[in-house]
Amino acid sequence: MIGLLARTVDNRLRASKFLRSAINHVFPDHWSFMLGEIALYCFVILVATGVFLAMFFDGSSAKVIYHGSYGPLRGVEMDKALESVIHISFDVPAGLLIRQIHHWAANIFIGAILVHQARIFFTAAFRKPRELNWVVGMTLLILAMVNGYLGYSICGDLLSGAGMRIGYSILLSVPVIGPWITFLLMGGTVPVDATIPRMLALHIFLVPALITVLIAVHLGIIWRQMHTNYPGPHRSHKTIVGSRLWPSYTLKSLGLFLLIFAVVAALGGLVQIDPVWVYGPYNPVAILPGAQPDWYLGWVEGAMRLFPGVHIASSGKLWVPEVFFPAVLFPAGLFGLLYLYPFLDELFTFDAREHHVLRLPSEQPFNTAFGCGLIALLVVLEFAGGDDVVAVAGDLSVVEIRAVLRVLVFVLPVITWAVAYALCRRARGRHSGLGAGAGFAEGGGAQGDGMNAG
Amino acid sequence: MSERDRDRVSEPGRTQAHVSDKQSKKAASLPGSLLALGVLLWEWATKTARSERRHPRRAEFASPPPGCAECAEKAKRGAKPSEALKVEPVSHEQIGTFLVVCAFLVALAGGIGFLITYWTGGSNLVLGATLALCFFGLGMTLILWSHLLTLNIEVAEPREPMQSPPEERQTAVEDFQAGANQIHRRGLLKWMIAGASGTFGAIFLTMFRSLGQSPDSTIYSTVWKRGQRLVTSEGKPVSVDMLVPGSTVIVFPEDSIGSEKSQTVLVRVDESLLQLPSDRMDWAPNGNLAYSRVCTHAGCAVGMYETTTHQLVCPCHQSTFAVLRAAEPSSGPADRALPQLPLYADEDGILRAGGGFSDIPGPGYWGMP
Amino acid sequence: MTAVEVGPSHMPSFAYVLSVDDMRVVSHFVTDKIASIPLGEGDIGKGGDLFRMYCASCHHTSVRGGALAYDGSNAPSLAGKSPELIAGAVRWGPGPMPPFPASVIDDKQLSSLVTYIRAVQNPAKPGGIALNWYGPVVEGCVAWFAVLGLVGFTIWIEKGGKG
Repeated sequence: MIGLLARTVDNRLRASKFLRSAINHVFPDHWSFMLGEIALYCFVILVATGVFLAMFFDGSSAKVIYHGSYGPLRGVEMDKALESVIHISFDVPAGLLIRQIHHWAANIFIGAILVHQARIFFTAAFRKPRELNWVVGMTLLILAMVNGYLGYSICGDLLSGAGMRIGYSILLSVPVIGPWITFLLMGGTVPVDATIPRMLALHIFLVPALITVLIAVHLGIIWRQMHTNYPGPHRSHKTIVGSRLWPSYTLKSLGLFLLIFAVVAALGGLVQIDPVWVYGPYNPVAILPGAQPDWYLGWVEGAMRLFPGVHIASSGKLWVPEVFFPAVLFPAGLFGLLYLYPFLDELFTFDAREHHVLRLPSEQPFNTAFGCGLIALLVVLEFAGGDDVVAVAGDLSVVEIRAVLRVLVFVLPVITWAVAYALCRRARGRHSGLGAGAGFAEGGGAQGDGMNAG
Repeated sequence: MSERDRDRVSEPGRTQAHVSDKQSKKAASLPGSLLALGVLLWEWATKTARSERRHPRRAEFASPPPGCAECAEKAKRGAKPSEALKVEPVSHEQIGTFLVVCAFLVALAGGIGFLITYWTGGSNLVLGATLALCFFGLGMTLILWSHLLTLNIEVAEPREPMQSPPEERQTAVEDFQAGANQIHRRGLLKWMIAGASGTFGAIFLTMFRSLGQSPDSTIYSTVWKRGQRLVTSEGKPVSVDMLVPGSTVIVFPEDSIGSEKSQTVLVRVDESLLQLPSDRMDWAPNGNLAYSRVCTHAGCAVGMYETTTHQLVCPCHQSTFAVLRAAEPSSGPADRALPQLPLYADEDGILRAGGGFSDIPGPGYWGMP
Repeated sequence: MTAVEVGPSHMPSFAYVLSVDDMRVVSHFVTDKIASIPLGEGDIGKGGDLFRMYCASCHHTSVRGGALAYDGSNAPSLAGKSPELIAGAVRWGPGPMPPFPASVIDDKQLSSLVTYIRAVQNPAKPGGIALNWYGPVVEGCVAWFAVLGLVGFTIWIEKGGKG
């Protein structure tokens, strides 16, 4: 039967050579190389569940009085968007399950991207020729975060509406062009009825299309360049070691996909997420405590809470409002630095050769320390973003928590940096004298050969 | 005059030069020390890299690859480039088969459970759990198959360098050049392409204009007009004695109830506690204070009022504003006071606005007056 | 009566200040005052709108409470509180909570408000475990556990792989 299929396709496409190289493609065997696939399969789940949701969702800010099955909101005026989401959650068979799977998958998607990116960073897989893929990956991360924000904001509930109001203010704070781009992109002065429909268009058309294209580019580049190897016997810039796509990798990868679906389905069924009926409709006069964005923007929220209030004004006019620094400048600076990181690494290591063997974290103390320090900073900021929830949950004082965090945000990254650096140097010290360890040449002559350019 | 004195007097220039030398040395010392610091930092940051270059420890680029003396031997003997390095034999095929069948049965059970739950209108919890069980079973089937029932072979294959061989690159460039040479009047074409790109770019950017309006005059508005009555969200006019000291209510101008920009918080405090600036002493009849409810930090409604400490608190980022001191920020990330509304009581005791807000309400933008 | 005697949270205890009889008189006075508010079935929709405008900013729409920044304490959860206690709190504003006299929230509105609060004291949880409605913060924690769990799965899938 396979023969029949092969003949049918091949008679029309002359695909044998390509198919042969495809099924024989070698992928190295290590669990840390499968982290990107977690993200990929989460995206597939998002698209599948998203199509289902799009059938029922009404992305309109037209006001309607709710008369559905959820009692406490009967007679309340709300956007049609919120009414359709409550309808999906309470009335559509399996609607709530699909909706919750969608939202859980979105949260896990971005977490998986970050774990994958951390692996790339700590093994210096972004070196030539993979700087291009690093840039593509960073863009994917940003698009994923944007789509997540758009996705939960189109529901029109009080929690995400507060987030949209804050987003409006952040856009407004951009120097010179702020009011223009805000009025243009959001559609007018807040609260804007035009915003939800255009956010819907971005969330279900443009951004997923961009993500899909970039994923294809991302995978295409990996395919072309062949995957990297950890240092080890037989592994070098001239030889790749691993298993073939067919049958080894196919089975493992598909198995992983099914397990991921199982995890998000379990969460979708067992753990409630984003109960919009509890938050109620967005009303600019109403607000609620614990109005955080989804976790992947928690670090920006934390920055907005911890940054001291500083604004720039002169000659009786305000020029730069307070929110600009934590919410625009800081994230832009951080992302800019990360985008440029492979090129900076090339500069600081004087190394522009092609690399196909990874650099272990202990062999790059600066990189590893920087990465650890950055993670520590982001963790503190995430914590700060949720400090009022922590205060309520633990019956603590949010004032005291914040005072501690103001100190921690400087101290913890520095300590983490120092400790990581020291550990790396110690680990290298153990190896350097002997030249032993994985990937080092057996026998003599290796030192001399190592000086060859790639 | 001693010789020394003569020397000193006869060379005033040198003394001056000596003085200015010192000054210029002082002036040069700051950029100089910054430069020195920069160099030190560079030296430290690149120390590892430079020592790596001198004493590379890993034979990533060694040829033959490390541990591959046998590969070199095989190559000499004419063996194929890709050959199995390691073959994991399939042992315990019986147990493997048993386990994958179990996993598959779990998946079937989950799937059937899902179908039953769906058609009988079951709860979200059971739907999710059965679906998860189904996928879990299928996933485990495949992975157990991969672990226990598949011959896993590790191979080594040659990598191609990412640079094309120089001849190929040269040929590609030459092909392009040859094709380009087939187009006549290329110079003119280049100008036209530039022009067309500019035009299409302008058209594309212009389409954005359809998305919305330019910022209109509403962003400069202080919203209230003198003489407007304060009303609650139900439209009831607010009298001077409606609140007791310590209580609060949300008010709007009569003509825009429920509007985001005009929402105002009315607080009543004991008059003796007021610490308003001198030009606002008559803005608070009977201790009634009115402030804009839109936080100057990021625009959330400043909904929390702590009556014992007289603080308006915004729940979004915990900016607090001291009600007794014209809502100046007392803690948190806001740096500008909430705009205050001047109030007066008319002859019926109804509170009316004495003008617009003291500032434009909201978080602010470039050039806000 | 117990509150007067014991002095919960910010409230001082009056056990050594007032005699037992005096304490009884005070508590009867308060109870009568609250009893005079008709707490029958109000309009749940209007009660919800009122709640979101005035109460949700401190107590959260899920009535589980919120952090008070300057004061450092936390607005308490309303779950399990009796309608009389809630009505009393609204009228007299305990601690940092402002009072809402009848001129601001009249008896009819108060009755709707209490009806709404009673309806959501145990909010519907069709989606599963509600994580106490703490919101995106705790949902993010759960998502991270899931991510780490999935990483654990990948380690098991590729066990023995040397990379």
